[in-house]
Amino acid sequence: MTQADELLRLAADLRSEARPGLTFMEVCGTHTMSIARYGLRELLPDGMRLVSGPGCPVCVTAMADLDRVVALARLPETTLATFGDLIRVPASRSTLAAERAAGADVRVVYSPRDAVQIAADEPGRQVVFAGIGFETTAPTIAASLLEARARGLANFSVLSMHKTMPLPLKALLELGETPISGFLLPGHVSVITGTACYEFLARDYGVAGVVAGFEPHDVLQALLRLVRQARPAIEIEYGRAVRPEGNVVARRLMGQVFEPSDADWRGLGVIPGSGLALRPEYADTDAALRFAVEVEPPLEPAGCRCGEVLRGVTDPADCALFGVRCTPEDPVGACMVSSEGACAARYRYRGIDD
Amino acid sequence: MCLALPMRITAVDGALATIASAGLEQRASLMLVPEAQVGDYVLVHAGFAISVLDEAEANETLELLCEISAFAPDDGVEADDAG
Amino acid sequence: MTDVNRGAGASGERILLGHGSGGKLYRDLVIGVFVKAFANPVLERLDDAAALMPQGRIAFTTDSHVVQPLRFPGGDIGRLAVAGTVNDLATAAARPLALAAAFIIEEGFPLADLRDLCASAAATAREAGVPIVTGDTKVVERGAADGLFITTTGVGEIVVAHELGSATVRDGDAVILSGSIGDHAVAILAARGEFKFSADVRSDCAPLWGLVEAAVSAAREAGGSAAGSAGAADGGAEALHFLRDPTRGGLTTVLAELAGEAGLGIEVEEAAIPVSPAVRSVCDLLGYDPLTLANEGKMVVVVAPEAADAVVAAVQTTEYGREARRIGFVTAAHPGRVALRTPFGTRRVLDMPVGELLPRIC
Repeated sequence: MTQADELLRLAADLRSEARPGLTFMEVCGTHTMSIARYGLRELLPDGMRLVSGPGCPVCVTAMADLDRVVALARLPETTLATFGDLIRVPASRSTLAAERAAGADVRVVYSPRDAVQIAADEPGRQVVFAGIGFETTAPTIAASLLEARARGLANFSVLSMHKTMPLPLKALLELGETPISGFLLPGHVSVITGTACYEFLARDYGVAGVVAGFEPHDVLQALLRLVRQARPAIEIEYGRAVRPEGNVVARRLMGQVFEPSDADWRGLGVIPGSGLALRPEYADTDAALRFAVEVEPPLEPAGCRCGEVLRGVTDPADCALFGVRCTPEDPVGACMVSSEGACAARYRYRGIDD
Repeated sequence: MCLALPMRITAVDGALATIASAGLEQRASLMLVPEAQVGDYVLVHAGFAISVLDEAEANETLELLCEISAFAPDDGVEADDAG
Repeated sequence: MTDVNRGAGASGERILLGHGSGGKLYRDLVIGVFVKAFANPVLERLDDAAALMPQGRIAFTTDSHVVQPLRFPGGDIGRLAVAGTVNDLATAAARPLALAAAFIIEEGFPLADLRDLCASAAATAREAGVPIVTGDTKVVERGAADGLFITTTGVGEIVVAHELGSATVRDGDAVILSGSIGDHAVAILAARGEFKFSADVRSDCAPLWGLVEAAVSAAREAGGSAAGSAGAADGGAEALHFLRDPTRGGLTTVLAELAGEAGLGIEVEEAAIPVSPAVRSVCDLLGYDPLTLANEGKMVVVVAPEAADAVVAAVQTTEYGREARRIGFVTAAHPGRVALRTPFGTRRVLDMPVGELLPRIC
């Protein structure tokens, strides 16, 4: 049986076994992308709803943080190193792409280690790394900071905007805006965290969760498992990469460099303990402390409903700006500019019959 | 998120590995998976290996990825095949 | 940088501002480098303008080349400059007649490199059967150009009597792609070294007149056997409707533009679009979509359905078209939009890519 056949068989099983009225939340932006890219919604039973959650690190970065990144990029003799994901995100009054065109030294890197290398190659410049991402990415920044320290580089620093995953799920359930039957839990975050941190979802809220991989058959298999659970539980579909205990070494490195802090999530507000801040021992590499930048009060774009989209309350298509004033080419909110934002995924990969 | 690709370790030099996948070669740090060895398949994210995969499991992912991009010279499409 | 201009062949020779100032240094450069490399009777006259004798309708096009790095696996700026313009002419079904090449060179550029790049341009021009008959040279101060910019302009003789283009495309037409996509973009990305990977990928940079000529002949034969088709000596190829090379913006851009201009829909089969394993790996790692990556040696050919098999077979006999195959069709459904059918039978819309190519972690 080919993969395509197997996928259609999984879809058929899902249609015959799922009761109507189920709403599942895919937490991870890469899941949003995958579902849209392979047109998986077409294969789902009619009564099943898939909503997107807050698992897009770019989308949930608060405007004030984006403004701080822009301000740092403007500093003289400073290189702002960033993942490509941030380049086009609209801050209050600018984007990193615009700053680069205006003369700022903004450099896209694939790995934070590349930013460390820039610091080593250019000792006369300050290299600031814009740290976004969840538990998949935070350990890589932690390891890179340790490398910078080991190499004696005094010109490397990180602006940590990192956040952790389980707490926003709790916040969503507490808000109770949308009845969620179960979560498609993030595949690669869980490689690091393991599954113990999600147990409270089933235990305290009666909501199931399955850690899913990113290929189409992973997603459908995970949905099938959610449907088949007799009692809510946390399971792993993505067994080839995720172990229940996660990556202990990575978590230890994270703990060495970062400590929990309060983080401001776009759309969810401040969630205590959900952010990662550099520990006091690493204050010298904390860009927030090293550079005094003035940031004007953040501007939220009028009519933008990214917050509601991130909470799974509003479908992208229900936002008045969607596809009209807000498109991937000319985005208003982060959900549209981020490649894995719910709005961008919906727009780019919209079905041919929409 | 996030993007991560299964790749095979072809050489190790301290904490850095040379990793390869179907014609692509790169370096990645093994700081997060110090137990990884030459020949292992690892999941690579942002220049770091984050997990060691079972070879069979890695091939499973790679097969899934491959089938999606069927590079078969004989494939073609007839207009009347379409729905 | 030394300020010495020794005779040809001395090591350490570099381009000086004086080479661009029209005097003896300039003439020595033109004769010693450009005329020597491009070697043809028209150019050797060194007139300010080349006299040509085109037959019938002509196609006329220009392209600037600013690629970095100047050399990359599978090609260089010289080959690219010639192939790019030959291919633009080919999209008009025009046999290349003559090329002009204007060079903007940065002061300090090594003469040996210039010779090598000109040799490459000359070889590509010979391969395409077209002479470089005129040109220009300017030298700018250090820092004012990225080493070398080349602008090529081309004139070609159109070999079909009918109009090619989006207005000629019809519901039911077959969409043919001449080979694998993403090779050039990935080769350049690897060569630029920003993301520190190496890949078993070479740019596909190549002149495609031969490929297009084969498609035209096949369309002519297929059209000749269709009832009621009678044409002039250069006619009969009406089955050929549209040609475009998927350069910047990739296959997606060509298809999206065509659908928009024609007011018709296009559907392509994802599994039919050839992508090499190395290109696929790079795209999966960095988060790129191969359908939006630049190619420099591929052609999209849209033909009447009855001619499709013959055109595919003919293109497959050419050096750069061996992997040619049908990838989709034109449809009256969803006018203006391009649908991609996934291997799972589901469909999604292909939009033109937005902005620059950026690697992602998410």
